[in-house]
Amino acid sequence: MNEIILFEKFFWFGFAALGFGILFNAPPRTLFAIWLGGAIGGILKIILLYYNKDAIVLASFTGAIAVGILSIPIAHYRHVPPMIFAIPSVIPLIPGVFAYRTTLGFIKLTGAIGADYNTILAETMNNGLKTLFILMSLAVGVAIPMHVMRKESAKNIRLIKK
Amino acid sequence: MESSNTTEVKDLGSLLLDVGIMLLSSGASCSRIRLTITRIASAFNYHCYTTIGPKSVSLTLNKEDDNSLFNGMRSINQQGVNLKLISGISRLSWDVVIKNLSIQQIKTELNRLSALPHYPRLIILFLVSLSGASFCYLFGGNAIEMLITFGATFIGLFVRQEAVKKNFNQYFCVYFGALAASLFAGAFIKAGLPIDLEHAFATCVLFLIPGVPLINSFTDLIDGNIQNGMVRGINGLMIAFSIALGLVTAMHIYNFK
Repeated sequence: MNEIILFEKFFWFGFAALGFGILFNAPPRTLFAIWLGGAIGGILKIILLYYNKDAIVLASFTGAIAVGILSIPIAHYRHVPPMIFAIPSVIPLIPGVFAYRTTLGFIKLTGAIGADYNTILAETMNNGLKTLFILMSLAVGVAIPMHVMRKESAKNIRLIKK
Repeated sequence: MESSNTTEVKDLGSLLLDVGIMLLSSGASCSRIRLTITRIASAFNYHCYTTIGPKSVSLTLNKEDDNSLFNGMRSINQQGVNLKLISGISRLSWDVVIKNLSIQQIKTELNRLSALPHYPRLIILFLVSLSGASFCYLFGGNAIEMLITFGATFIGLFVRQEAVKKNFNQYFCVYFGALAASLFAGAFIKAGLPIDLEHAFATCVLFLIPGVPLINSFTDLIDGNIQNGMVRGINGLMIAFSIALGLVTAMHIYNFK
């Protein structure tokens, strides 16, 4: 894998997250954390995809879990609820192109039934299900660390036992 | 003694309703709203029972040792994600527990929090456009496509902000934003640039994706707030549908196949 391209992607994943942090009016003291979180989650997905091209759902899920775990120390360090950091940071993992292709497929499916109708149907189904499952895995991945710890507030969670 | 208790419970009740409504309208999940309200109420030694609807919060407050009781409900007027408000209220609720703030102090702090400014408009436009360009790169676009996406996102977000200012229905605002962005990006394809611009066209509407409603929807579903989760999920789907409609309109105008 080309390290320079990997570094470039790291960089841009961060900016994709940062833009949404600004759009959602995140507190200024969390912006750098959001940039870093988006970059780490994204790059984890890219690395996993490099080893297994088909496991896009699993790769996105791993990225989201990483963001979810990171959100707890950042909640301590920056005194914010974990979701403030987690929501903008997982947004770069959202499957935009799959969603676009699904929409495009649906539009084509409303046309006349031609020779390639079955191919389009299969592709649309494939893209649509990928979109749905990636979205679900992002939401679950972010929420998992809080649920595993079985605490209602991140303030009571210590990752390292004292 | 009796009357002072009645005023206290009334003040606290309306304060907690304010907190709940502010959190709900700025995009907090149900469990967070309930947690914050209960935390503040228990700092004043009250038992608090809340029901959180899709667009309303209602609660009952009572004390065990006397019969001061409060029932109230309030509904939402405007929605817009505001993480600064959520984190501010979360900090405030801890301050109430640790520093024993009075009801008046909490009120002043809430007013200060709700008056906090958003980022300057130009910074929002610029950074969101930059994030659109990053999406374009990450999905495989080249430098020219990134520039086109930057411009399209800038114009789309501007149109959407103007539509929100003019009090259009929220789905119309999204539709206008998607239409403006995809018309801008499509113009370059129509002009016949000698490169494939699929990525620019696909990523120029990504700034509109309903990330917060969809993630909150699943958070609520996992916590067992099925009704709210379903409402938020359908809201997210409606937004996604509006985006798709904007894209389709642009594609039909330019007659793309």
